[in-house]
Amino acid sequence: MADTNPIKQFEVHELVPFEAFGLNLAFTNSSFFMMLTTLVTIVLFTLAMSSRALVPNRSQSVAEIIYGFVADMLRSTAGNDALRFFPFVFTLFIFILVANMLGMFPYFPGPGLHSFTITSHLIVTVALAMLVWLTVIVYGVFKNGAKFLKLFVPSGVPGYILPFVVFIEVISFISRPVSHSVRLFANMLAGHILLKVFAGFIVMLGAGLGVGGYFIGIAPFAMTLGLTALEFLVAFLQAYVFAILTCIYLSDALHPGH
Amino acid sequence: MSRENKSQRDPSKADLDDLQQRIDARREKYKPAPDTAPRSAWSLGMRYGSEFFGGVLVGAVLGFGLDYIAGWSPWGLIAGTMFGFAAGTLNVVRAAKDISSESNGG
Repeated sequence: MADTNPIKQFEVHELVPFEAFGLNLAFTNSSFFMMLTTLVTIVLFTLAMSSRALVPNRSQSVAEIIYGFVADMLRSTAGNDALRFFPFVFTLFIFILVANMLGMFPYFPGPGLHSFTITSHLIVTVALAMLVWLTVIVYGVFKNGAKFLKLFVPSGVPGYILPFVVFIEVISFISRPVSHSVRLFANMLAGHILLKVFAGFIVMLGAGLGVGGYFIGIAPFAMTLGLTALEFLVAFLQAYVFAILTCIYLSDALHPGH
Repeated sequence: MSRENKSQRDPSKADLDDLQQRIDARREKYKPAPDTAPRSAWSLGMRYGSEFFGGVLVGAVLGFGLDYIAGWSPWGLIAGTMFGFAAGTLNVVRAAKDISSESNGG
């Protein structure tokens, strides 16, 4: 009987053990998929843009559409001067998108022959969200100085409740990386568990009821099929949501106080 | 002959402006719908949930930290959770505003 444990797919295995300064820095399947994500992105974009035609062919127009999509998103949410952050937002979007898509392979010619979704681990999404949050703080203070603190003081609030409002605003600001990272992580984790649970039902029915079980198994199979399509949507949507929230937060660093 | 050619290849400012206007008009016409990404109810719920969860969690942790440093236990945790609740509600209201303004195309 095949393994039906729905959370086995999230296990991290050491591939190349390596230890330095008392820290375990082993090369794991997680590291493998991070490197693969970067590699796949570079290779696909290099291939797509290699013709450099004025009238693009199919692959080149896909690359240009992605470029324009991110640029428009940044321009419409944070204004034209936010385009200096274009490389940052584009990298985040593509990294998360490709990582999510690589995680959609049921089998993969990699370690353990199974795929691994790096964005289904909280530590990865927290690292990405903290990167955005710290960029907002550092750039906001660097560009606006003390005016950056206006972010915490909404206008038109009477003086006697201002301390409370400022405190709430500060908590709200600190909670940004939490919700930013938890959203991506929880979506990927929950979706992949759900997928594996329904796929596991097919195997369990077959093992428990024999041939008849496989016939009943058509029902969970249909569900798995539908959920796979939904997961592709979620994989794209979460990359988009992560990127657009990054734009909204960067807009606060550029124009605090409204 | 060469002179005429040159004047054709060297468009005056009026021509350029005219071209720019036509380009802008076409851009406006083929502008993609503002809400191109389809959103599922699942992702909307997750968005509100995580916004609220983040606020409460950060408030509670801050309150607990104050307890730990200043020895106000348990008042820091209680007040922090309540402030966190308020911050979470604020986050949800802002998220709802973002989402409704996106889908209204503004």
